[in-house]
Amino acid sequence: MSTILRVESLAKRFGGLQALAGVDLAVEAGEFRAIIGPNGAGKSTFFNTMTGLLQPDAGRVLFEGEDVTGKPPHLLARMGVARTFQITSVFHDLTALENVQVSLLAHARRTWSAWPRAGTQHVTRGRELLALVGLGDSAERTAGTLSHGDQKRLELAIALAGEPRLLLLDEPTAGMAAQERIESIRLVRRLAQELGLSCVFTEHDMAVVFAVATRITVMHQGKVLAEGTPAEVRARPEVQQVYLGVPA
Amino acid sequence: MKPAGWLALGAAALLALPLALSEFWIFIAIEVLAFALYAVSFNVLLGYGGMLSFGHAAFFGVGGYAAAILMKKAGLPPGVAFAALPLVAMTTAAAVAVVVGYFSVRRAGIYFAMLTFAFQMLLYAVALKATGLTGGDDGMTGLKPPGLLAQPLAYYYFALALVAPALYVLFRLVSSPFGYALRALRANPRRLQYSGVDVRAHQLATFVVTGAFAGLAGGIFALSSGNVFPGWLNWTASATPIVMAVLGGVHSFLGPALGAAVYVVLEVLISGKTEYWPLAMGIIILILVLLMPNGLTGLARKRAA
Repeated sequence: MSTILRVESLAKRFGGLQALAGVDLAVEAGEFRAIIGPNGAGKSTFFNTMTGLLQPDAGRVLFEGEDVTGKPPHLLARMGVARTFQITSVFHDLTALENVQVSLLAHARRTWSAWPRAGTQHVTRGRELLALVGLGDSAERTAGTLSHGDQKRLELAIALAGEPRLLLLDEPTAGMAAQERIESIRLVRRLAQELGLSCVFTEHDMAVVFAVATRITVMHQGKVLAEGTPAEVRARPEVQQVYLGVPA
Repeated sequence: MKPAGWLALGAAALLALPLALSEFWIFIAIEVLAFALYAVSFNVLLGYGGMLSFGHAAFFGVGGYAAAILMKKAGLPPGVAFAALPLVAMTTAAAVAVVVGYFSVRRAGIYFAMLTFAFQMLLYAVALKATGLTGGDDGMTGLKPPGLLAQPLAYYYFALALVAPALYVLFRLVSSPFGYALRALRANPRRLQYSGVDVRAHQLATFVVTGAFAGLAGGIFALSSGNVFPGWLNWTASATPIVMAVLGGVHSFLGPALGAAVYVVLEVLISGKTEYWPLAMGIIILILVLLMPNGLTGLARKRAA
């Protein structure tokens, strides 16, 4: 297996707060990696610094061996990295189908085409992607009127439209009911396997994490505290102490 | 009726319209055409791209001044100068829009609005002070199209022959993949970036294209009104396309054109009766925003539904 994502000593400071204090991470192709940690552990900052939204103070990010540190999001996306957001991020006043069409047009590098009509472009593939995430019947609905869970699924379809090789999901089950969470993450897992994607996701819900993750990285105070298979991580006393709330 | 049917009907109406009008109202119809293009170009920026420019009058004004300088100061035969006018008005406005846009699209929301505002005031100062070129406070007067085109009826058709294709180009633009990206960009620029789109470049392109068409509108209007004044570039002038777009409806492509027609005609009717036209405009805006936030086209659509 090859390393699809490598992060070396990534650091980020906000004023007096050292949000990331040198994070190292190596994700092998085909992994379904969970990043967990208490609130304020730096998970979202880590995601945002890895994906060009924030500039790191120090450290490097390598995607498939290439240095992508601080690369702007649109260039990162073109290389094959997709991401979703903690707060659901769709094009709320476009229809579900148009949401996916835009992403397909972007992936095909067609957004500078300013004369032909767009309405009929990528419709078949757009509907396929919607069906894939279980939104086949909602293609014509305005994205903003979909339920929270369906918007999360739509965002997944938007991300998949770019045919990424690495998918980064920031709290993909945030705001969902317990049962919906497991179903939703299993869907992501199944699609990732079918499409040959590597995934890294942050998550609060331990049931979700232990249900699907192939490996788990535990963050605490801007650093990696532990890493391993779910069984290994569960057994680590320091993890239990800081995160699972069990006294050591 | 199919869209093609409506289009044919609209074209016939616009072609026949001036034949039924007095000379005075033909001038008003030309003004409507110019401001329709101006308002639609503004709304491509606002309604589709989500960019509220507070300086769109800069491009209308630059187009107007470019036309005036071309006719008066370039030393060309009137026919030649006039033939070059549409292209000169558009490219001058586009060139200014490249500079203004380059800095302005780096910021969003109110900061974008303030940057466009600042650049417009800069241009206003230039128009006031560069007396040799612009006539300063007095503006430039006595502009007119050459030969037969000086007839209002002929000039109306000339304006229509420019405005109609310009609107069609803008319509194709908003219906194209670029237009889809533009709507997505208004809804969620960050999401679009992570789909691989260079958001800022698309914003700048939109700014330049809409600026160019505003410039064309300014050039057309300059030769029909016969003059350009620094006031065209004053910041208050930038409220005009905003009011027209909101009046007609920002959620429809031709809504702002309808808004422009209603605004111009109301201004003529009301300012002919009273000097309190601004008061009337204030009341109209209040009614508009409070009772029909989606403008006239929004109201029509609600009735139809």
